[in-house]
Parts: sequence; structure tokens; C-alpha cells
Amino acid sequence: MTSICMYFEVHQPMRLNHFSVFNIGDHNDPKTSYFDEKLNREIFEKVARKCYLPTNNLLLELIRKHDGEFRVSFSLTGTFVEYCERYMPEVLDSFKELFKTGSVDMIEETYYHSLSALYDDMDEFEDQVKMHNQMIRRVFNYRPRVFRNTEAIFDNRIAKKVADMGYKGIITEGTDKILNRRSPNYLYRPVNADIKVLLRNYTLSDDVGFRFSAKQWPGYPLTADKYAQWMSHCEGDLVNLFMDYETFGEHHWEDTGIFTFLEHLPSEVFKQNYLDFVTVSEAVERYVPVGEIDAPWAISWADEDRDVSTWLGNDMQHSCFNELKEIGRKLRGDGHKDLLHTWRLLQTSDHLYYCSTKGMEDGAVHAYFSHYDDPYEGFINFMNILQDFKQKIN
Amino acid sequence: MKVAMIGWEYPPFKAGGLATHCYGLTRSLADKNAKVFFFMPKTKHKPSSDKKNLKIIEVGESEIFPYDRPDSKEIEGQFFEAVYKYNALVAAKINISVKNDGKFDVVHCHDWLTMKAGIAVKEETGTPLVLTIHSTEYDRSGWLYPNQWFIDIEKEGMEKADKIIAVSNFTKNVIVDKYGISPDKISVVHNAVHPIPEGQKQEIVLFLGRLTIQKGAEFFLQAANKVLDYEPNTRFVVAGDGDMLPRLIHQSIDMGISDRVIFTGRLTEDEVKHIYGISSVYVMPSVSEPFGITALEAISAGTPTIASKTAGFSEAFKNCLRVDFWDTDEMANKIISLLRYDPLHRTLSSEGRKEIDIFTWDRVADKTLDVYNGVM
Repeated sequence: MTSICMYFEVHQPMRLNHFSVFNIGDHNDPKTSYFDEKLNREIFEKVARKCYLPTNNLLLELIRKHDGEFRVSFSLTGTFVEYCERYMPEVLDSFKELFKTGSVDMIEETYYHSLSALYDDMDEFEDQVKMHNQMIRRVFNYRPRVFRNTEAIFDNRIAKKVADMGYKGIITEGTDKILNRRSPNYLYRPVNADIKVLLRNYTLSDDVGFRFSAKQWPGYPLTADKYAQWMSHCEGDLVNLFMDYETFGEHHWEDTGIFTFLEHLPSEVFKQNYLDFVTVSEAVERYVPVGEIDAPWAISWADEDRDVSTWLGNDMQHSCFNELKEIGRKLRGDGHKDLLHTWRLLQTSDHLYYCSTKGMEDGAVHAYFSHYDDPYEGFINFMNILQDFKQKIN
Repeated sequence: MKVAMIGWEYPPFKAGGLATHCYGLTRSLADKNAKVFFFMPKTKHKPSSDKKNLKIIEVGESEIFPYDRPDSKEIEGQFFEAVYKYNALVAAKINISVKNDGKFDVVHCHDWLTMKAGIAVKEETGTPLVLTIHSTEYDRSGWLYPNQWFIDIEKEGMEKADKIIAVSNFTKNVIVDKYGISPDKISVVHNAVHPIPEGQKQEIVLFLGRLTIQKGAEFFLQAANKVLDYEPNTRFVVAGDGDMLPRLIHQSIDMGISDRVIFTGRLTEDEVKHIYGISSVYVMPSVSEPFGITALEAISAGTPTIASKTAGFSEAFKNCLRVDFWDTDEMANKIISLLRYDPLHRTLSSEGRKEIDIFTWDRVADKTLDVYNGVM
């Protein structure tokens, strides 16, 4: 039996206002808020209509139709849940409805979708994981057993920390950098920690996430029966299909046929012998690790490089990251609750992502996800805000 | 391939991007085994060619320059006549050359100044005509009071040309929208640059260009005024000459920043290279900019550049900052950011220089040859 484990990442960052050097230090003007409320609301409501609501409805139907045999997992960031509660509570209700079916699992991550796992000490990381844990408990009355770090960023240190915090499983990218030609379709164990590692099958995941509507791709058009057959040919215990939830209806619009694909996927999978669906918790309960992985340097699921260069690839990103850490040193333990929350919203990895200068194929993907004209605009804006914030805490 | 190219300026003398373009293009064409005969007015600067395939032929003398306006004082009423006279001389010279040495495969003109000659040669000998548009009357007038006399010449040339090369999509759109030319007749070939070495950077913010309404130097001074409130040690250099110079000097005095702004007047080629090299920021606030070779020159010298959003080069270039020319708050925001944030300056400087490598005259020559082959 090979199990298909689908997990969807659900995240929205709090995008920043236009903030010029002339706004720095101008703390009396209420208009100089850091976050662009209007833009954020517009984007959230648009994506909710195109993706979150219709896809949740479809998944609910499919779970009921297949008597709970169709199973999926979600990771919801804290900022995403804040959006729901502020603008569209019905979106969160529909996630609760899905969760109640018992066929849906929830994954832990940092509340703010941050890079705090890469800080010099891990206190801030631990705090943000605990915040996420409390949020999931409050909303779903549930304690996740599997952890996934921001953008699947993973190294030995992170694995050890997450294992020490009591999680049974951790998610990362099935990159050859750690697999050395072994298959991603099994569980593995870090060299230094007692936790099971789930590895994304990036070929099959990206067939849906990136290539589904690419007409020049040989696999085009991708149908549910074709895809189910590909999976039935996979060797191993587990096919991990991890992708952004916005794949459905937002990255690929409805007219690409993405919803039809999803609608037929469970029944096509059940036509194949020896295939079933599991949640991430079930995957780590059912299977045992077949080998060790060693990740002395951080990997991730992003870009062609599959490392952290997406967020920390140039001087501009490094300097913003260092400013964030510096602010944290001053702020943590100070007890300024509202400032702490603002600092943490600024830690969301997307702000650094917008400053990436990577060229070629990745650059096109970056531009798609960014509301800035170019990475330099992103940097100027973010850095101006960080400078203003530093003045506030001094 | 035998090409008659009709130009107006050629290094060592240059007034604008036209000279740079003709120099880079003719030399690269010659390297690709095209025989290029470059016709231009006789000047005291004596341009010369060290390439076997490239002949520079000086024709008569001319008192006008490509960026002159008929209201320029020195030439006044003789302006139109001088244009016609030069064009007639060039056409006659080319026709003699055809009689003696055989026909050209293509005749290639640049901008309005030499269009009449190109049309005459085409009508006399049936040689296909290619026209490169570096700027239109709308650009040069800053879209304020375009002169119909230039527009009529430009329109006639565009209509009679077999193929038009536009230096950007921006310019292609102007040719389609304002001159009614079919887009199928127009190829876009972006300009290139001969890289300039980086110098010892100083806190200098540079404007370099003709001081005409088109280039927007007054917006540069407005931004400078705002920058100086926050970064009082910055120096601003306005390099170039033009009819707006007295007005700009008064503007800087009125704003009380004349001690921080240096007007250099017209610079020599070496001085231009030097100032690009030592500046920290280059600003190109053009009201209308078909391409903007100067931006690529500054970037090649490791100087981060802030350019008008509509500037033609930026269609094809990623690593620069963009502003609306009238948005001097945002211009100042970006100048200050570049002065304050070293990582921004470093990244733009290094990524910009990397990207410049694609903009070679070799590529321009290849694309121009494609156009020639299409009309033969």
C-alpha cells in the first residue's frame, strides 16, 4: 500500500504601506501606519472568493462522498487566521467544518510565518510556535503533532529543537541535497534527533502546483486519472504532495480546469489498487523511517536552489534580517505588547522575499507574488519602516 | 551587404545618443563584414575609421545640429534652408557614389535630419530605405508644443521607409499612435553601451543631459531641495548645456541650494566618463525618453540609476529604480535611500553591471542586419 499525503499551506502576509524616508520619525501622523489595510483586505477577499471558499466547499463534498477516506492536512498561519477573523469569519468557519469531519489534520508552524528558526538563539522561534499552538487550540481545540517550518526551511538544529518540543513529525523538501539519490517516498530520521521527517515529492507536487496550466509542458493537460496512474507507479510508503493552497483557483484560475482535476482526484486514486490517503499525523504513526538524513545547512522548498537564498540571497535581505534581529534583542522582554506584535508581523518572511533579486525563472515567480514593482522598492519600503520602528523602541 | 548610412554626428563630436548609436552600430556592422559608407557633415573634429569595411565620408558643412530648434538664435531663418541644403548635398554625393561604384543594398537614416536625403536616394535609385527613430518631435518638445514642420518630415520619412527601427516599444507606440504607421513595419532594437570604468565614489548625485524641456532637469533640482533637508552634505551636479541653463541656475538660487549644486556646462568625453565614475546616484527625470543611453552608461560605471518610469531602456532593464518624473517626493525618497542604505547601493551597482553585459553593439548590429535582410 502506498499512501498519498496531501498538505496545503494557507498563508497571507500583512503587506506594507508605502513608507518613505520622510515618514521616518513622524509618529504623530496616524496615516503612517506600517500595514496597508486596504490592499490587504482586497487581496484577502479576492483570494477567499477565488480559492479558500470554493476549495473548502469542494473538499468537504469530496470527504463526505468518499466516507472520510479522502484525507488532507492544512497549515494555517496566525496572520491568515487574523485575516479571517477580521474580514471574513465564514472562511474560518468553513475550515472548522472541514476539521470536524475527522478527515482533516492541522499542522503546526510559526504563528507569523517567520524566519525566526534562523536566529542565533531559538527563544523567539519557540514563542512563535507556542503562539501558533495556542491559536490552533483555541480555534480547533486540537494539538498538532506534526510541524512544518516556514517554507519548509529545515536543518539539523531546527529538527532537534522541534523534536525537543515534543512533535512526532517534521516536514521538509525532498531535495537531493539531503537524499543523495534515495527516494522521497519514505519517512526518514534526522542524524541528531528523534523525530520522523516527511519529504515533499517535489516532482509530483510541482506538476500540480507549478505546471498544471503550462501548455508547453509534456504532461499537459493534466487529468486526475493520468495523475493517479503516475502515483500508482511510485515505489515507497508515501507520496507527499505539499503545495500552497492558493494553487486552487488563484495560481491556477478556475478556467484552467484545476477544480475539475481536484474533484476527480479521489475517485481516480481509489480506482488504483494499493493507493489510499493519509493525513500527516497518520503518516508518521503508520510508517517507520528507512534511513537518516543530515542537513547541516538549511534547505527549503523554494525556488530552484531549494535553500534560504530566496530570503537571504543578497545584501539588502541580509541587512533587513539583521535589523529585525537587532530590534528583537532590544524588544524581547521589554513587555511592550503592541510593539512586540508589530515586530513579529514584520518578521513574516514575505517582506524579505519581496527583496529578492534572483533572475530567470525564479524572478518571474517572485514578481508574480510581489506587489512591488521591483525588489529595490521592496527593500526601500521595508528598510524605511524598520528605521522608523527602531526610533520607536529607543 | 553594402550600406549607405546617413548620420549627423559621430565621435569625437557628439551632442546626444545619436552619435553613440552610429559609432557603435557602424563599427559592429563592419566587424560582421557589412560594407558601411557613413555620410555626415564636415566638422572641425575630423572623425576617422580604423576599419577596412567602414568609410566615413564628410559632405559639405552644416551649421545645424540634430537637437537644434528653428528658434535658436544663431541660425534663425536659415534653419529650414540649411536642412534642405545638407540633405540635397548628401543625396547628390550618394548618387555619384552609386554611379561610380554600384548600388547600395540599403540606405539607412537616423531621425528627421537626414530623412529627406534617404527618401531622395530611394526615389532615384530604388534602394530600400531603413529609418531608425531615436526620438520624435513629441519627445524633444516634452509633449508641450510640438512643431508641425518636424512632424511632417518625420511622417513623410516613416511612410516612405521600407522598414522602421524604433529604439524602444515606447517609441514604437508613438510612431503607431501619433504618425499612423502600421506596427508590422516597425522593429524594436534596444540600444547598447560601451561600458565605462567605475571611479572612487563620492556623495554626488548626478544629472547629465541636454538642458531642454525634454530632459526634466527642473524636477532634479526640486528633488535636490528635498534631499538637502535630510542629507545636507550631498552635492548635486548638473552636467550639460541647453536653452534652460539660465532658468535652472535661477531656480537653484531661489531655492537657496546654489552652494550644493554645480553646473558644469558641456563636458568633454573624458570628463563625462569621470563624472559617471565618481557619482553615487544618477537621476534621469526625462519628461519623455525614447531610450536613454546615458542611464546605461551610468549603470555600467557602477552608479545606481533612478529613471523615469516611461524611459525606453527600462522596458528591457530590471536593475534600476523608477519614478514618475513629476513625483519629486518619491525621487528624493529614492535618492536618500541610495545615500543611506549601503546594501541597496551595492546590490543595484553590482546587479546593474551584470545586466549591462547583455546590451552590446554586437547584438544591435545583428538585429539591424535582420532588418536589412528583410527589405532586400
